[in-house]
Amino acid sequence: MRDFTKNDIRLFIALCSLGLVAPILFPAYINQLSFAWIFVVIALSWDMQGGHMGYNSFGNIVFFGVGMYAAASFQILPFFSLGDWTEAGGVQTFEHSVSQYFSGYALGILFAAIAAVATAFIFGNLILKMRGHYFAICTLALGVAIGEVFASIEILGAGQGLSLAVWPRGFLDDTYRRLFFYYQGFLLFVLCFLSISYIIRTRFGMTLNAIRDGEDKAESMGLNTNFYKISSWILSAFFIGLCGALVGHLVGFIDPIDVAFSGATYGIWMIIMAIIGGKGRLWGPVIGALFFHAFNEIFWTYFLGWQRVALGLIIVIIVVFFPEGILGFFQVRKKSSVSALSTQPQQQKK
Amino acid sequence: MNKKISKLILGFSALTLLLVGSATAKVDGDIVTLGAAVSLTGKYSTNGKHTKNGYDLAVKRINENGGFKVKGKTYKIAVKYYDDESTPARAAQLAERLIKQDGIQFMLGPYSSGLTKAMAPVTENYKIPMIEANGASRSLFTKGYKYLFAILTSADQYLAGAVDLLAEKAKEEGRSLKTLKVAVAVENDPFSLDVRLGAVEKVNKYKMKLVLDEKLPKSLDDMAAILTKVRALKPDLLIVSGHAKGAATAARQIDQFRVYVPMVAMTHCDSAQIEQKYPVGAENILCAAQWHKKLTYSDDDNLFGDGNDYVDIFTREYGYSPPYQSAESSTAIQVYVDAFKRAGSFNPQKVRNAIAKTKLQSFYGNVKFNQYGQNIAKPMVLLQVINSEYNVVAPTKWASTPLIYPRPK
Repeated sequence: MRDFTKNDIRLFIALCSLGLVAPILFPAYINQLSFAWIFVVIALSWDMQGGHMGYNSFGNIVFFGVGMYAAASFQILPFFSLGDWTEAGGVQTFEHSVSQYFSGYALGILFAAIAAVATAFIFGNLILKMRGHYFAICTLALGVAIGEVFASIEILGAGQGLSLAVWPRGFLDDTYRRLFFYYQGFLLFVLCFLSISYIIRTRFGMTLNAIRDGEDKAESMGLNTNFYKISSWILSAFFIGLCGALVGHLVGFIDPIDVAFSGATYGIWMIIMAIIGGKGRLWGPVIGALFFHAFNEIFWTYFLGWQRVALGLIIVIIVVFFPEGILGFFQVRKKSSVSALSTQPQQQKK
Repeated sequence: MNKKISKLILGFSALTLLLVGSATAKVDGDIVTLGAAVSLTGKYSTNGKHTKNGYDLAVKRINENGGFKVKGKTYKIAVKYYDDESTPARAAQLAERLIKQDGIQFMLGPYSSGLTKAMAPVTENYKIPMIEANGASRSLFTKGYKYLFAILTSADQYLAGAVDLLAEKAKEEGRSLKTLKVAVAVENDPFSLDVRLGAVEKVNKYKMKLVLDEKLPKSLDDMAAILTKVRALKPDLLIVSGHAKGAATAARQIDQFRVYVPMVAMTHCDSAQIEQKYPVGAENILCAAQWHKKLTYSDDDNLFGDGNDYVDIFTREYGYSPPYQSAESSTAIQVYVDAFKRAGSFNPQKVRNAIAKTKLQSFYGNVKFNQYGQNIAKPMVLLQVINSEYNVVAPTKWASTPLIYPRPK
């Protein structure tokens, strides 16, 4: 078990201070900054299995979508009929009052977490016994299948999608709305980072590493690997579910396939971000997510219509020339590093 | 080591903030910049391009004619584009970005109802007017939006006319309406579901039988399973709606599988150019259109002239005949210019109020908004592909050619 080094703490504090003041320094960018924290959280959460445990899941988007739908629908349910709200071609208009909006909001967030955790528990029991490619393919199919299921649930709007409750009319200035979401994203980052950095230093984290490095050996040592695998997936689902809820509110409209269960964007991004930064390392996904988000935004501005090609190229370059990710690259160059940045595979094996 | 990481993180943050572009004003000197996120990539890229070309052509034309005058000063127009990649999540983010970072105060719509649904809450929050020409879902107009204006007819009316037409023909033949069978296959997206809704309401009204009611597969590139059912069920009318890709697939496979239905109605035939790409399958298919060049409307502002003039100008510029998606997009710009002139100001609130009071005719049709921001001054038309050409067959007022019914086997 390794302690949080002083440098880690300094870095974390620096990042937090930056996070606290960023919206004041760059008021026009609050929305993008909110997404930056969300990206960091989904990458960190994915890395719990993908990196630390060695289970490459393509299906974590399920928790994202489930969280998003739960947050949206439980904000509506206590006050209006969800069926009327989503009715195709309906003519009614609905508006939340200030108290309705926020009480519903809190309820939605709560249910987003519950729904995501429950989903992880159920599917974890079913599919986490699979390993390697079988697990990866199964989770990929799971993401697609659940998306299709949600696209056919009439009460959630089916293919029409689900519009979220709008910010109460006339309540506080728009800047406060954006800050409201921003600081939640930021808080989520702090919580997620602290939990994961704590967990990977405990026996629990060691077990996850043991599963990655040799599941059979871990089992033969008497570890109930299934328990650890499901628990880590649940933790991951908790954070990704909350991210889904936030993204739902930030986007304002849920399309089942293109927003909620969008395997081709958020689903694959969370993996790419972890890989770019360096998976299985605490700071890897953080750096990967910030890098990815920054370049994403830049390409959108300067390579209109070609942004995906440019981004694809960057990913190819990183995978080919920096297979250990950005962080891994620096660590390999400076082999001497003994920092806590490394729950790095090679060092674990020693 | 950690210093390096700190540097990396700080570097990235700084880089993003520096490179994503600094905020500029929407009215800079004599240039008024409108903002738009359109689909340049992804599943709607074909129609996204038609939308962009429509906007660009009107902008070019206005600027070539010397711009427009507001309170004696002449202004020109520019459009700031982003690519929404056909995903609503991106569209909403880009709307934020256009407004907050690029300082845009007048928005143009994206392509498709789903993306418009994602952008509308954003423009509404910032009280920025958005004139959209490609989001037809009825649900856009039930949210109480005050800053959203659509210059097109809502989606439920696209193919309802085809059911009317079938009823009319059956009456002529002396058939009972109750014996008529209708099959519906639509994409599972906001627009197509609304198209279905409008058609099904009519089917129920006439007490016809809805023998097939299916969703097209998400990829929209194969509807063989549905067509097999259609062959077995022998409906009198087949309705297909799935944007350009759905139309192309239907026209192609109806021919490939030799499926015969006396009346076939679709949306987006012209933007998919089915009459050129699949001339056999496309023959005698009915197509819903917001506009056709043969309709006798002409510009109040003389920007293009009438429908035929628009087609000529567009074809010269882009090398293909404009589908209605381009026509309505061009008119969105005309509506803005008209509103700027009447508002005598570039204050978004004043412009919004001016837009709400719009009453104009363009080559595309009449534009007048109801309280929900819907254009109520313009009907849909039904075209039929006859000898690989589109001809207006309904409503009767504009019909240039009699309907060919049933389609020859």
